[in-house]
Amino acid sequence: MKNTEGRHSAQWVLLVAVFIIATCGLIYELVAGTLASYLLGDSVTQFSIIIGVYLFSMGIGSYLSRFFNDHLLEWFIRIELLVGLVGGFSAIILFLVFPLAISFQPVLYALVSVTGILVGIEIPLLLRILKDKVEFAELVSRVFTYDYIGALLASLIFPLIFVPYLGLIRTSLFFGLLNVGVGLYLCRYFAGEVRGIRAIRFGGIVILVAEVVAFIFSEQIMSFSETLAYNDHVVYSTSTPYQRIVITKNRHDLRLYLNNNLQFSSADEYRYHEALVHPAMTAAGQPRNVLILGGGDGLAAREILKYGSVRNIQLVDLDPVMTKLFTGQDILAEINKHSLKDPRVTVTNADAFIWLKENKKQFDCVIIDFPDPSGFSVGKLYTTAFYRLLKTAMTPQAVAVVQSTSPYVAPKSFWCVNETLRASGFQTVPYHNYVPSFGEWGYVMARKSGSYQLPDTFAIEKKYMSHAVMEQMLQFPDDMLAHEPLEVNKLNNQALVAYFEKEWGKYQEQ
Amino acid sequence: MKRGDFIRLTAGMAVAAPLLHACEETKSKAVPGKIVGASAAAGHLLRDHSFNPPGAFEPKEVVIIGAGVSGLSAARHLVQNGVTDITLLDLEAQPGGNAASGGNAFSKYPWGAHYVPVPNNNLTEYLSFLEDAKVITGYDPAGLPVYDEFYLCHDPEERLYINGHWQEGLVPNTGLNAAELAQFKQFFSQINHYKYLKGTDGLDAFSIPVDTSSRDESLRALDRVTMKEWMDNHGLTSEYIRWYIDYCTRDDFGTPYNLVSAWAGIHYFASRKGKAANAAHNDVLTWENGNGFLIDALRKDLDGKIATGALATSVKATSNGVQVGYLDVATRQVKGFEAKHCIVAVPQFVAARLLGDSERGKTLHEHFHYAPWMVANLTVKGLHERAGQPASWDNVIYGSPSLGYVDATHQQVQQRKERRNLTYYLPLTHASPEAARKEAYRAEHAFWAEKVLSDLQRVHPDIREQTERVDIMLWGHAMVQPRPGMIHGEARKSLSGSVGNAIHFAHTDLAGVSIFEEGFYQGLRAAKQILQQT
Repeated sequence: MKNTEGRHSAQWVLLVAVFIIATCGLIYELVAGTLASYLLGDSVTQFSIIIGVYLFSMGIGSYLSRFFNDHLLEWFIRIELLVGLVGGFSAIILFLVFPLAISFQPVLYALVSVTGILVGIEIPLLLRILKDKVEFAELVSRVFTYDYIGALLASLIFPLIFVPYLGLIRTSLFFGLLNVGVGLYLCRYFAGEVRGIRAIRFGGIVILVAEVVAFIFSEQIMSFSETLAYNDHVVYSTSTPYQRIVITKNRHDLRLYLNNNLQFSSADEYRYHEALVHPAMTAAGQPRNVLILGGGDGLAAREILKYGSVRNIQLVDLDPVMTKLFTGQDILAEINKHSLKDPRVTVTNADAFIWLKENKKQFDCVIIDFPDPSGFSVGKLYTTAFYRLLKTAMTPQAVAVVQSTSPYVAPKSFWCVNETLRASGFQTVPYHNYVPSFGEWGYVMARKSGSYQLPDTFAIEKKYMSHAVMEQMLQFPDDMLAHEPLEVNKLNNQALVAYFEKEWGKYQEQ
Repeated sequence: MKRGDFIRLTAGMAVAAPLLHACEETKSKAVPGKIVGASAAAGHLLRDHSFNPPGAFEPKEVVIIGAGVSGLSAARHLVQNGVTDITLLDLEAQPGGNAASGGNAFSKYPWGAHYVPVPNNNLTEYLSFLEDAKVITGYDPAGLPVYDEFYLCHDPEERLYINGHWQEGLVPNTGLNAAELAQFKQFFSQINHYKYLKGTDGLDAFSIPVDTSSRDESLRALDRVTMKEWMDNHGLTSEYIRWYIDYCTRDDFGTPYNLVSAWAGIHYFASRKGKAANAAHNDVLTWENGNGFLIDALRKDLDGKIATGALATSVKATSNGVQVGYLDVATRQVKGFEAKHCIVAVPQFVAARLLGDSERGKTLHEHFHYAPWMVANLTVKGLHERAGQPASWDNVIYGSPSLGYVDATHQQVQQRKERRNLTYYLPLTHASPEAARKEAYRAEHAFWAEKVLSDLQRVHPDIREQTERVDIMLWGHAMVQPRPGMIHGEARKSLSGSVGNAIHFAHTDLAGVSIFEEGFYQGLRAAKQILQQT
């Protein structure tokens, strides 16, 4: 009597284990599917591939179960612990691997396969463990009933309770802990029947501790995965209504990213800003009033303030968070030498197009440092309509300069900016230089009339510009030319956005 | 776990979740907004009541009834030619007729007509008006007009949601097979033939205004069949081209392709041949407030001459002119003008009642049909976008009863838009105009708001949460329907003629197609009839 009772309860313990394994297994699959949808998009594709891979892997697991001939109970517990280990850490692994974009999908499918195979081994193993203890028909009925109920439970609690309240990392850890907990309980329950119990129990406890620690530090793990995406420490990050601002720092330099696009590296930004500012400022003679459109980092302003003739700098940048950061933050203000606090500088946070439409003042030099024309909104700031407005803000002898993306990566885009300025009635001087963190970069100088005279000297403190360097910057090798007639960029064709998308798209595929 | 169960389970969840969500949303939240404008109730006074004749008549040289495009164009031409003692009467609070517009803190927006195509170059008076309105900034050395870049529709202009994807342009091409694409090619080559065809009388086959088109018998024959019959005869039978043509005729005429005259349907495509220095012939001019911009330009020199909230009640020819009675809707007083001339610049069903002319009423009843429309303006926060072409000026959903929506903020140049105003157009073509009109006036705001949101939900799943306000405008008689016989029949001509020397008519329903140019030239024609006599 006692013996049957013991056998009876052992059977129930194992069935509860099946129930938990089924729940956990499905949860890991849902975590993988959700994460892949978050990170890769296209949820239909992600979910259907993951379901397919998972079910197929379970098939492989079922097949492999035939090779387990002895010590079935030990293997059952070992695999239980392994599922807890792999599944529990799966979300963390995927978040950390994602920034290394190339290897994400292999890791994703590998994890799903391993989980699937392990879960696939478990059910046949269990059937075999229990086959002598229960009548076959009843056994199959019970095992699968618990398996399916577990699946239902998982699919209900995952979206309704776990994702909203715990998030993906903690959800997968929670179920990992559950798996390991079951494994350890089985160790205790079957202590007499299992060989090598100590080693198995020790392994289980190590996994348990590791998962508890990871559970507690999940926030930090999440933000660490963001720093990996930028290769460096993120020292500051914020989302404004206009953009995502991220500042990273390592031993060598500090970098500013806007919407994940590098704006400058403190190590070589002088090359960019000297090339952007000094040719135009020198060509403008003795400029008194200077306009900067964009350039909220204050670095162009820093270069302009080197000229004794300058009385006023009007800086117009869209994002107040940007200009506030580069005015008040010590590390950042050190880089722009506190240019935004200079009494000669007026900072206005406004939309450049709207500001220019309403502006009545004229300037001797205009520095235009907008983001690249990667979309229809910002593309408007590179149109004939915008440049015709610009003309009204320039004195007769004034010189403007436009940052014009890379003539090496995107020659059509670069020369399209040049063509657009010419179509708007400007004489232009295109030039380019090498900025290590950007690559080859291009600029177009524009004036209403008169030809460009290469200056003998750039009479300011500088690290990069000189007569000889400028002479070189005016030379365009064949691989930086457009080699075809280009459209002028207008509000009603946005030709530049199309060139830019095509050229940078191709470059990023490489 | 077995595959079948698992998939069933997952699929069940996927289907149930959005459904549950949708039920919850529709129950819990009513979108704010109201039904605005087009004073149908006041207008129906004219139909349902009889008014006393006015006690006194104020002398006036010209009274114009209706301050839509035709009336304003007539007034502008008269003032430019020294006839300044004029008054325009309009029932609405704002002049503009079908080009009415509104606005909020984020932008102005149209309530009706919202663009004009690049004009044909032979329309001298129209081009000179556009120059006056600073839409044309000058002419290039070849003599082609240069349009203000801010008014040419910005890129991206049009997109169509078809087969689960936003494609560029409205002519379906995503997911079509070679035979279906070939039908479009055939259609457009046919149109190209008509575009440059001249009739035996030497006139353009299809021209603007309509009345300058050739009256060649072989072309007039096109006015005796419907667009659908014409397409059937030409083997244009694929589902896609039928949708496209039906979309176009509903868009321009508020009339489905199986009711519209083939002549009018072809005119839509073949009459536009405008050339410009800085635009293509298929480009359009548009403004935040749609053609409200052109209304402001038309009325520029008419300050103090427009009486709004004024419902004309009678027009009676006298021995030396015309007596016009009207109701001041605010004070409920009937007043009168004694004028030398009157231009009746309202639709003919109103004109017939004003004149108390049962003969006119009969012709009208037999030949004139007017399409009812619903227009909605939605104020939205950022919307979730389906894959494909990004948000454009004109956004059309394949297979929808609506014409999609136009983004009123599209012509704004700033980087960030806190909110956008979307103008949604729905011609009520699911029933006869009479039935649809009655049904439309009975329905409440919530009904229309739900109709708009459930249509747009297909392309913007979060539209319900992101929409702050939906206002609705109902146009009982938005435009005349160019059914077969309208363009080349006799009814139009018989109603266009002046009554005596004093009463003249100007309205797009007399042209048979409701486009800006027709209104503009209708007004011009009536004004010239008066100027000839002075």
